[in-house]
Amino acid sequence: MTQNRLLKLLDTIMVPVLAMISGLIVMGILIILIKKPLFESYAILFSTGFGCEKYGNCIFITALERATPLIFTGLSAVVAFRSGMFSIGQEGQYLVGAVAAAWLGYVIHLPPILHPLLLMLAAMLAGAAYGWIPGILRVKLGVNELLATIMLNSIAALVTEHLVQFPMRADKSTTAHSPVIDKTAYLTSFVPGSNWGMGFVIAVIAVIVVLLYLWRTKAGYEQRMAGQSKLFALYGGIPSDKSAIRAMLISGALAGLAGAVEVMGVHHRIMTGFSTGLGFDGLTAAILGQIHPIGVFIVAILFSGLKLGAQLGLQLQLEIPRELGGTIIGFIILFVAAGKLYEDSIVRVRNWFARRNSHSLKG
Amino acid sequence: MSLAIEMKGITKFFASTHVQANDHVDFSVESGEVHALVGENGAGKTTLMNILYGLIRPDSGEIFIDSQKVDINHPDDAIKHGIGMVHQHFKLVPSFTVAENILLGMEPTQTGFLNQQKENMLVDQVARKYNLLVDPSARIQDLPVGMQQRVEILKVLQRNAKILVLDEPTAVLTPQEVNELITVIRGLSKLSYTIIFITHKLIEVMSVADRVSVMRGGRMIGTKKVSETSIPELARMMVGREVLLRVKKKDIERGDVVLEAKDISVVAVNGLPAISHVSFQVHQGEIVAIAGVSGNGQTELVEAISGMNSLDGGEIIFKGKPVNQASVGERRNMGMAHIPEDRMVVGLNLQTTLDENLIVSRYDHSEFSRYGFLLIKTIQEFAEKVVKAFSISAARPGESISMLSGGNLQKVVVGRELSGNPSFVIANQPTRGLDVGSIEFVHKTLIEERDKGAGVLLVSVELDEVMALADRILVLYRGKIQGELDAATATEEQVGILMAGGTLDDLEMAETKAGSRPIER
Repeated sequence: MTQNRLLKLLDTIMVPVLAMISGLIVMGILIILIKKPLFESYAILFSTGFGCEKYGNCIFITALERATPLIFTGLSAVVAFRSGMFSIGQEGQYLVGAVAAAWLGYVIHLPPILHPLLLMLAAMLAGAAYGWIPGILRVKLGVNELLATIMLNSIAALVTEHLVQFPMRADKSTTAHSPVIDKTAYLTSFVPGSNWGMGFVIAVIAVIVVLLYLWRTKAGYEQRMAGQSKLFALYGGIPSDKSAIRAMLISGALAGLAGAVEVMGVHHRIMTGFSTGLGFDGLTAAILGQIHPIGVFIVAILFSGLKLGAQLGLQLQLEIPRELGGTIIGFIILFVAAGKLYEDSIVRVRNWFARRNSHSLKG
Repeated sequence: MSLAIEMKGITKFFASTHVQANDHVDFSVESGEVHALVGENGAGKTTLMNILYGLIRPDSGEIFIDSQKVDINHPDDAIKHGIGMVHQHFKLVPSFTVAENILLGMEPTQTGFLNQQKENMLVDQVARKYNLLVDPSARIQDLPVGMQQRVEILKVLQRNAKILVLDEPTAVLTPQEVNELITVIRGLSKLSYTIIFITHKLIEVMSVADRVSVMRGGRMIGTKKVSETSIPELARMMVGREVLLRVKKKDIERGDVVLEAKDISVVAVNGLPAISHVSFQVHQGEIVAIAGVSGNGQTELVEAISGMNSLDGGEIIFKGKPVNQASVGERRNMGMAHIPEDRMVVGLNLQTTLDENLIVSRYDHSEFSRYGFLLIKTIQEFAEKVVKAFSISAARPGESISMLSGGNLQKVVVGRELSGNPSFVIANQPTRGLDVGSIEFVHKTLIEERDKGAGVLLVSVELDEVMALADRILVLYRGKIQGELDAATATEEQVGILMAGGTLDDLEMAETKAGSRPIER
């Protein structure tokens, strides 16, 4: 039984792990091509991205901070994908949530705890409402959710830009930004000088909640079955339309929450160019994480660490362009997509395990 | 006679599933014979043939072709040695023409351009040579399954195959197409082709094969001359015990009406009427069979009654209540069960575990969920119970079902549908593609349900099945009830003529004219 579990786990993580190794090998080739020290590069990439020099100057903590919104948008994608909705609307829902949180952060004044709770709730509602649109379009009119969410992302980006430039603009400085939200609405950080704090805790809670929702609740069962086989759901009497809409609401709420956490924990306001593609990074974290909440959690931290390692380690210490970090991630995704490459080696590992198991059973 | 193929000591263990698919199998085929390879689902027939065709590499064993030892590592090697395989699921390009499919990869070209006329001519010649008439310019997607299979056979012949492996070729065919295929096989055998015919339908073995080899549990049980064996003997070899080829059924009093269809009509996707003005009743403790050639409205009828599709006219009354507006879930909660035609896509979700497959119709009942949460433990216990009660040998609670054989998959469906004490069961082609052992099991369970007082609507294109199970027979022809017969007195001829669109009067007339001429079906 446990050995079967092990094999199953091995099956799920083999492709991403091998893809990562391949991505790092390609990175090595690129580094050799630009004539930089190979092993030193690896050492610096990891020691910077995932290391801690001293308390208070811990880049790994920054990695965790950067990973926080990714975890939310990744979970958002997981919930949508697991219901059979290929929604890539995280970006738009994230912005809508951020706007809602930033606005309520300075227009209303409430005591601590209450204020952040209200902001998060509002952001989730806004995100859910924005997720509901492609959901209902899909169910009632058969509009492809992929196209609908792409369009809604652009709409959200432009509307946010307008709001920040005009109605919400705080002053006449060169870069447009909204007023700073009340101190009462800040999310506490754990380490002075860093923004790693309550937001991360909420992200961990969200991972657990999504995990429970998908595999332990009736609603999660409904949406997974409808996502895997529409006909099976219809035949079994599962209301798949209802569960698709519910999935889009939850997915939108999670992405909206990412926006709120980013506003309340990091920037404390919303400004022009607020989104740095966090929605899409979440999407890739979901795919690389095997559309599983825990996978998303691990991959989000890994991505953030790699990016920071490239930016603060490779670029500053070895003068390797920091874009290399993004390049490696790009390659890793490419290798995951080409997962068939690894079929042979996976079979070999499986056989080795099986043989070892049957020996140990006999012996 | 010399041996065309000799396989010695073939062994194959699938580590991923812990299945010993082939265990020192010896198998030989004389050249020019039709050799049937039979066995239950999962007996190892397909593995053995895939090894012969180079799709799977054996752990050990040797293959001889025309007494020469050969290494077959890839289908290309097999083709080189004159082996051709027609798979159960055709490997044709639906949007290409017949000629384009047959000549795929070996098209005659003229200065680099395709010449469609030449292709068509070439294929026409080949088709005439083997007496396998097809229209070279027809598109595959427009052809019936029997024709597609013919194209597949031609494709193999065109690649100079001398030994043809047909993997369950009749599983997808209508009875008439089966007869045509048998004629084709006999013709090829006369042209001194060697044919290996995988099947689990023993009637076909008796009618077409020269010799038959039986496999069970990965081992070769034995090879017999067809003229020296019988269906009961082969069934015993296949299953390993005595098999009731026809299940016994006791007489019981039928009860009240449980389901009534009142003048129902369904319009198909293409806008044509699929079911028009059909009325019938099913009582408690009775099996009503809907007989008919496939494609006469069975699918639409079942979808309408189960609630998967809406009616375009008429009314369905279940347990005294009109259910036209009720969803699938509501009907199921009222006690309707449904064994669907397609277990792989409709009846099961192969991507998930046994447990989750078993609760699909009842996950929201209080026994399996509380306050919105699934009761994982209870569900697992339930799965264990079903596995035991329906002896689904290879299935384990909590694990995937994608590796189970067809018979076991159907047991999962039947187990789920019948374990909730339904008052009405729709069984649509419940034994399609199953081996004799599993058919016996499904038949027995359906009769048990009837004896317990459920109403059963059996939809089947297998005349044998209809005759064996039904209390009453309704024959569906072009979306209408062509006739109703009492199963106790009905003959196969009567059902047959109704299935073909005739009437019982036609039959009487034919009988008085020609004495008691048997009617072929």
